[in-house]
Amino acid sequence: MEAGHERELVERCRRGDETAFQALVERYKDLVFALIARTVLDRSRAEDLAQDVFLRVHRGLPYFRGEARLSTWIYRIVANVCLQERSRPAVSIRQTPLDSPGAQVASASIDRRFAELELRDRVEKAIARLPARARLLIAAHYLEGVRYEELADALALPLGTVKTQLFRAKQQLRRILETELS
Amino acid sequence: MFCDEVLDAVERIAAGEETPDRRAADHLATCRQCAAALADARAIDVLLRARPAPRVPAQFTSRTMARVRGDRWRRERVLDAGFNLALGLILFGLASVVWMLLNGSGLASVGDDAVAVFRTAGVALARRVAPALPLYAGAALLLGGALAFWWWAERDAAA
Ligand SMILES: [Zn+2]
Repeated sequence: MEAGHERELVERCRRGDETAFQALVERYKDLVFALIARTVLDRSRAEDLAQDVFLRVHRGLPYFRGEARLSTWIYRIVANVCLQERSRPAVSIRQTPLDSPGAQVASASIDRRFAELELRDRVEKAIARLPARARLLIAAHYLEGVRYEELADALALPLGTVKTQLFRAKQQLRRILETELS
Repeated sequence: MFCDEVLDAVERIAAGEETPDRRAADHLATCRQCAAALADARAIDVLLRARPAPRVPAQFTSRTMARVRGDRWRRERVLDAGFNLALGLILFGLASVVWMLLNGSGLASVGDDAVAVFRTAGVALARRVAPALPLYAGAALLLGGALAFWWWAERDAAA
């Protein structure tokens, strides 16, 4: 969204224009929901938490001074909501032995489609074992529309730190998958 | 251990954020463990990219707006209650100050006399007005009816 258009939308929301706030929800709901649904372990909580984000946005708009971009401010709220959500017990990962021991994540396959689905399922379960912050970083990085810079602003971290934390998260994910598959 | 260094960089290499230097490239070509880790990191990157984005539930916007409206209504009520309370406290404070001033200056006895005068006048007025009460009630009813009709017609026109 252009800066001018964004400022106008924020201004209208602050004046109590409900249509403007609805437009804001429409504009950000996909990203907010996707980020939350990918970060919290209990998917059934995702909608409630996404609504909480917009409630906080609505309450906070009178104090939003526009120093940060609207999107960055919204990501910050998403991050707070996700990280405050009490982490639930990790989902247990099914211990299914592979056909050949020590096979690689990319190559174990008889029926490719089936293997792909199974692999995707394993990746999801492995992600569930990561700490909340790592899940959030991976979720945000692989969702279109969230740039490293915005993520760094939202988490109040230097850009380099965000990149390092993201690579650490992916490394952790790889190790979980390798340990489980070997 | 060179493996540790390479394994540490595998995610950056897979994401294309880092190009392995000559030494690392040679190592990756000969070390099975590191080559496998790089292949895994690449496969995971592809899978993460292909992860379908969760779909927003239908009616999300309307449900969110309903919560926002409810929240605003509640906050306005709290604000109203706070305002009324503050106003009440101010009025009470003012009344207390006036009462203390009257007491202090000996004007309270004058106040008592004034109350007595108003009471007698009120009783006399009520006696005089009592016979005409049905007339007043009828007029008030007519006026109220006309106002209600006007409000109803306006509301219909607006809708
Ligand atoms: Zn090695």
